Amino acid sequence: MEAARTRVGVRSRRRVLTWRRRRQLAGLLFVLPALACTTLFFLIPLGLDFWMSLNQWPLLGDHTFVGIQNYAQAIHDSGFLGSVGLTLLYTLVVTPALLFLAFVLALLVQGTDLASRFFRTLYFLPVPVGLATASYLFVWLVQPNVGPIIRGLELVRVLHQPPPVWLATTIPALAVVIGMVVWKVTGLQMILLMSGMQSIPGSLHEAATVDGAGWWRRFVHITLPLLRPTLALVLVFSIAGSLLAFDQFYIITAGGPSNSTLTSVYWIYRTSFVSFHLGYGAALSILMMLALGAVSALQLLLIRQSAELS
Amino acid sequence: MKARLLAPVLGLLLGLAACSGGSSGSGTTTLTLWARDSEKTFIGTIVDAFNSSHKGMHVDVTIIPAGNPFVQKLGTATATGSGPDVVSIDLVYVPYFAKAGALKDITSQTDSLSYKSGFDSAHMRLANYNGKMYALPFTAESSVVYYNKTLFQRAGLDPAKPPANWADLQAAAAKVRGLGSDYYGYVWPGANGGASIFEIAPMVWASGGEVLGGTPQQSVPMFNSPAVTDMLTFMHGMAQAGLIPPSAATDTTSNSLTAFQSGKVGMVPAGAFYIPQLEGSKTFDYGVFPIPGKNGGYSSFAGGDEIAIGKNTKNASASWTFVQWATDMAAQQTMAKLGVMPVRLDLAPTIYEPLNPIYATFVQALQQGHTVDSTVENALINDNNGPWATMVHDAIFNGNIKAAQDAAQAKAQAIVAAG
Repeated sequence: MEAARTRVGVRSRRRVLTWRRRRQLAGLLFVLPALACTTLFFLIPLGLDFWMSLNQWPLLGDHTFVGIQNYAQAIHDSGFLGSVGLTLLYTLVVTPALLFLAFVLALLVQGTDLASRFFRTLYFLPVPVGLATASYLFVWLVQPNVGPIIRGLELVRVLHQPPPVWLATTIPALAVVIGMVVWKVTGLQMILLMSGMQSIPGSLHEAATVDGAGWWRRFVHITLPLLRPTLALVLVFSIAGSLLAFDQFYIITAGGPSNSTLTSVYWIYRTSFVSFHLGYGAALSILMMLALGAVSALQLLLIRQSAELS
Repeated sequence: MKARLLAPVLGLLLGLAACSGGSSGSGTTTLTLWARDSEKTFIGTIVDAFNSSHKGMHVDVTIIPAGNPFVQKLGTATATGSGPDVVSIDLVYVPYFAKAGALKDITSQTDSLSYKSGFDSAHMRLANYNGKMYALPFTAESSVVYYNKTLFQRAGLDPAKPPANWADLQAAAAKVRGLGSDYYGYVWPGANGGASIFEIAPMVWASGGEVLGGTPQQSVPMFNSPAVTDMLTFMHGMAQAGLIPPSAATDTTSNSLTAFQSGKVGMVPAGAFYIPQLEGSKTFDYGVFPIPGKNGGYSSFAGGDEIAIGKNTKNASASWTFVQWATDMAAQQTMAKLGVMPVRLDLAPTIYEPLNPIYATFVQALQQGHTVDSTVENALINDNNGPWATMVHDAIFNGNIKAAQDAAQAKAQAIVAAG
């Protein structure tokens, strides 16, 4: 009897161990494809990129090891630093514009009635339009002779003959790009903020209303604090996207007029695929990656800190 | 139990499934040919003619946008070990690609050609790097000014006497502009470096000046020379007087050609490639005249394409068969009938000029043609964000002539120094 029970006990313990190990193995296999993709498409290229940044690496021809020379050159490259300045300016304008508009729209379309649902869809419609497509669309919307925006403004006598060429001067050209991005991306941020707001328990708002809190006080003391994680998500994506802006500038302004709207990624693209200096371009990419990582980390830290303080 | 593992293992296998590469095994040798978009009016016909006369060989042509996209595509493909078997390449890019080793050395094959002395010398010069030949001339091209004879007549100008110097050009442009607020005198893609070197640099050459000197491997930029100042001042004057449509300032492609075709612009510089397009949609009478110098004389950009064999080709001898066929009598004759200027100067009077009276102007202009021979031509000139394009745009449309010239000269010298 004892021996039989012991044998059963041992067998069941072994079965428990094997079963747990099988579950661990299953888990590992589930994760492996994602891990393989990340390694293959991110970690390995990152390593190669770092190796290239330590070399003088022309697209065609042999490469030579130069150590940190590319990085030293980057710090004195007035063109690159200028492009970083433009990118920061662009980010500083676009981020609050997007967030403010998205917030206003999110508050407006929160309801469940038909009108809210209709406008919610309408505001979201530009989002799935490809960035390149939207950029080409705006090039033609502001074309002086046939663009509907220019024609429309002429019709209501805001503009006069001869029609202005907005893309030929820096500030208007930047405004066109910013206008396109705001038109396209606001819907996405609106949906994210809206879902964040909807996850705040209605009972909190009810309790506050019973206590006599008006709309504004409820917004500042309930909605905003509880939206913190959503805000963090929206801000990190928005700022990262703006710092890495390229497509819209390539298509709408082509870096012009007179190279005044070259963003940092555009600069890296030109260094690598127009001037064919891949090593230097790689160094600039690594620097951008570190800067972006620092900015994102700083954002998350600030948002967490302000959460702890309140 | 085992079923539990099956799902993730399948997922793993699916996730790591390699994409299958296609390879056709058959008796025919397939060659890939890359050509730029301005060749699309004739390259299909040429390739069809080759395919039907050469059983066992088949050429597939890929059209690529001209300018930097072409350079990029050829550069990146060659660097990754692929690329075309044969490539028709803008002659100004040949020095760079020859130096970078992207083209096959065809010196010995070229030496065996019986007609090699009949080739245009500018093409042959650019295809030669360190004494070896890396390409053969394929098409010739020269830049002239097209003018709308109907508009000239309406403006009170004599269509048989086109402008012969800058003052005449401005006067004619002003008269056409006077026809109405949506009429303009002169247009060209003002933000396109390649178009500017092709179409307005000849004004500098015709006036005795130069834009880029030195040797192919050690170029000497002359962007701040007085002759260039003269040209920029003249063009700026035309822009200030409203003779050039404002949209030209941001045009990096070929909207100028569409504008001319709409019948609202008096003059547009372009090459012989424009003729099939114009003939196809002709609603007005047009003519051509050579690009004039300040006080007379004329010049042109001696351009066109060369044909070369890509370094990574697996069919070198078949590729050479195509290259040789494309530069020989039959192909050049077919191309001439399609409006392409032949690179065989010995053939021009017989197979080209008689086809259309205006072809004679192109050949005449080509004889006073200059070209740009530099291993950093793309970075200096064709790049739309490069020093030449930026200077042209800034000086002509914003009026900062001296500042634009000095900035461009400095940047150009830095590019030459970086090599």
